[in-house]
Amino acid sequence: MSTQNNKKMLVSDVMLGVDRVPVIKEKTILKEALEEMGRTRLGIVCIVNDNNQLLGILTDGDIRRKLLKVQKPFSAFFVDDALDHSIRSPVVVSPGDMLRHAIELMEQKQIWDLPVIENDTLVGLLHLHPAVQALLEG
Amino acid sequence: MANRIVEVGYGNVNRVKIGGNQSLAFIGGPCAIESRDHAFMMADEVQKICDKLNIPWIYKSCYDKDCRSAPDSYHGLGVDDGLRILADIRDAFGVPVVSDFSDPAWANATGEVCDFVQVPAYLCRQTSILKAAAKTGRPVHLKKGQFMSPWNMKNSVRKLEAAGCHQILLADRGTFFGYNMLVNDFTCFPIMARTGYPVCFDATHSIQLPTSMGNISGGQREFIPHLVRAAAACGINALFMEVHNDPDNAMSDANTVLNLKYLEHVLGQAKATHELRLEMLDKFGEDNVHPEQ
Repeated sequence: MSTQNNKKMLVSDVMLGVDRVPVIKEKTILKEALEEMGRTRLGIVCIVNDNNQLLGILTDGDIRRKLLKVQKPFSAFFVDDALDHSIRSPVVVSPGDMLRHAIELMEQKQIWDLPVIENDTLVGLLHLHPAVQALLEG
Repeated sequence: MANRIVEVGYGNVNRVKIGGNQSLAFIGGPCAIESRDHAFMMADEVQKICDKLNIPWIYKSCYDKDCRSAPDSYHGLGVDDGLRILADIRDAFGVPVVSDFSDPAWANATGEVCDFVQVPAYLCRQTSILKAAAKTGRPVHLKKGQFMSPWNMKNSVRKLEAAGCHQILLADRGTFFGYNMLVNDFTCFPIMARTGYPVCFDATHSIQLPTSMGNISGGQREFIPHLVRAAAACGINALFMEVHNDPDNAMSDANTVLNLKYLEHVLGQAKATHELRLEMLDKFGEDNVHPEQ
């Protein structure tokens, strides 16, 4: 399946641009974060500050695990800052990283998404499905 | 947990810092301004006790009581006369003062005189009141409505912040437990402290039985010392109590105000409990026993 072309593919070739990445601000409450995740249907939301620096990510799986841990009423859970329940130091990649390496990283970590960071700011998101599709078509 | 310090006081009055590892602050005085002489007498008496106990304090009394149960209940001296008395108390005693306000139109005048502006519990989610409070530029004492969950107070905090206010004290004054009854859920203190602002316990309104006596509220002030000790152990940064030299004849909240003669008894224990809690914090660290919350 592998070709010379797809071996040379970069993260930047297939990542979702920042305009397609679900992004919320640091003071967004969990209820609004869930709405954003539902709207974009990627199962992830990135939390950034005013300088577009990534502060954390929140995924469907994070919420699922939290629901079993927190025990608090939904009304209290919903009004928490999404950032409080996020992964603060997520695995990230750069636009210039090799796509194959990024996918291998996803396999190692058992994750479906990698925020793409350049010059300390969020510039995109590598989502597993389009990444694999690009490799297959490459 | 709470990490901001709210500083109350401008001009020539004492500065009272509330929050963090600061001393427990006391906010107190008669519920309503009854007369110039009475307001001054009460300020003098409370000041003596706070000086003796070395407790930083803020004089509290309101010029307009807009949430009384009956149409003929005492309403207050009004904005102009009431604020003039509060201004004179500031000057005479060097103590910061606080009053609530129930109408956005009164906010500017209140903020021009008072060091601290208070948002009544019943109005704690009214955007117009919160905006007006923020616009005064003074720190805001925001009481949790009896109908509000502690976590939903964050929405009111965010309204204040959006209007430019970042000096906020959050208070619990009890939560409705059916009709004509309040209960204190002390988990409200760590929950509200997660907003980053200090928290306060309003002891005398917490023992209120709202409108339990037909057209006035009752109260069970015998429980004030118990609740105060518990709240101080829970981690409050300030204690609010209304006091009166003659509760039976108080013109407002006669069934809930603490008799002045017991103020030292209660305040002394509050201070001691607060200091013990700070010692335990030093010795054992923060209560982070369920980080997944």
